[in-house]
Amino acid sequence: MVVGHEEIAAAPPGATQKARVRAGFFLTAALAAALCLGGCISLPQSEALYAAAPAGLPERAELANVPRHRQDDFLCGPAALASVFNAADVPATVESLTPMVYLPGRQGSLQAEMLGTTRRAGLVAYKLAPEFEAVLREVAAGTPVVVLINLALRLFPIWHYAVIIGYDLERGRVVLISGNREREEFGLGFFEYLWQDSGYWAMVALAPGRLPATAREPEFAASVAALERIGNPAAARESYRALLARWPASLPGLFGLGNVEYALGDPAAAERAFRRASEAHPQSAPAFNNLAHTLAELGRLAEAEAAARTAVALGGPALEEAQKTLEAILQRR
Amino acid sequence: MSTSFVRLVSRLLVVCMIALPFQAHAGLIGTDEVISATQAAAARDTVASFLNRSDVSGQLQALGLSARDAKDRVAALTDAEVAKLAGQIESLPAGAGSDGAALILILLIVWLVWWLATKK
Repeated sequence: MVVGHEEIAAAPPGATQKARVRAGFFLTAALAAALCLGGCISLPQSEALYAAAPAGLPERAELANVPRHRQDDFLCGPAALASVFNAADVPATVESLTPMVYLPGRQGSLQAEMLGTTRRAGLVAYKLAPEFEAVLREVAAGTPVVVLINLALRLFPIWHYAVIIGYDLERGRVVLISGNREREEFGLGFFEYLWQDSGYWAMVALAPGRLPATAREPEFAASVAALERIGNPAAARESYRALLARWPASLPGLFGLGNVEYALGDPAAAERAFRRASEAHPQSAPAFNNLAHTLAELGRLAEAEAAARTAVALGGPALEEAQKTLEAILQRR
Repeated sequence: MSTSFVRLVSRLLVVCMIALPFQAHAGLIGTDEVISATQAAAARDTVASFLNRSDVSGQLQALGLSARDAKDRVAALTDAEVAKLAGQIESLPAGAGSDGAALILILLIVWLVWWLATKK
């Protein structure tokens, strides 16, 4: 077995043996559970898929060119991310991602850090709706999906990240990359059984400017805002534009676009975005506040004052900020 | 002086030094605040978020990260993600899998359970 990582080298020497002992324990526990469980497992999502294929979804799809990454013990998080980053044209390896996402003390990777590491790679981390159909739609649109599955029992979980790269509804199969297995096929029901313990957790890593096939406006806007927040306004700008191409009046979309244009040193473009926001959402005090601030920056003080007065008149939680903006403008006039 | 008291005081100082100057700044309202349900909640969250971030950073260091790595990693998370991690890093799922042989054995067992339980 290849052990290429100092984190692994530093792990207690008995770790692998412990895993085997645990596996033996699971055999007993699982058989016991199987005997009492007979017929109690409910797999609503795959049953719905078997019953009727979702409208507009191709019967089968498989992404042929998703790179595989060999994975040593415990490193399925970095390996899964490396595959989906590569698919989004971002160079990454298990070695480069391990220090960003692997947590030695837990011998694994946390879900939040899978999302955070995706942002650090300059990609939009988008959590899918907890639905089988959403995963299949993303794959059909060409995006591999990272899922969190439980390989053991609910009471004694062994959590594992895998990458869904294909499906076949006629044969009732999903295709995935898991651990060192380059191509694995699971039945839809069996996969749902493994997947449901994580609350059907699934994420995609999207290149800037790419809209997920199953994008929901508030969730996608929040995903882009998270990328903006960690200091990547250029990537966020592309994705806000994609969001606005689909939802032209989106308040977080217009607002976010204005803020990143401003951060990128283009107050004229920021002013256009905030103006669109204030026209589409005349009740939004933050939109008028930011419009006023940007107009003042451009030296258009009369318009800035009018916008600031509107923001103050609208009041609400932004009132304090709006008053400060108005005072600052009045001092300059 | 008790450790928890020292921790409380130092956290409050961190909040005062980092959060308050930003609060007093006039200018653009951040995108996060429009996305949060209400801005009042967002303002309250600022303080909570600083506390959570220092908390999570400390836990990550206790689990084997350097102070610098922990800080960079926490910085990549949203307030909501940090709030979920705070105090729970030990219990939340950490995806790992295990070595190949054990993985296949476990999958075989789980498949057996699944097959026995779902066969009509």
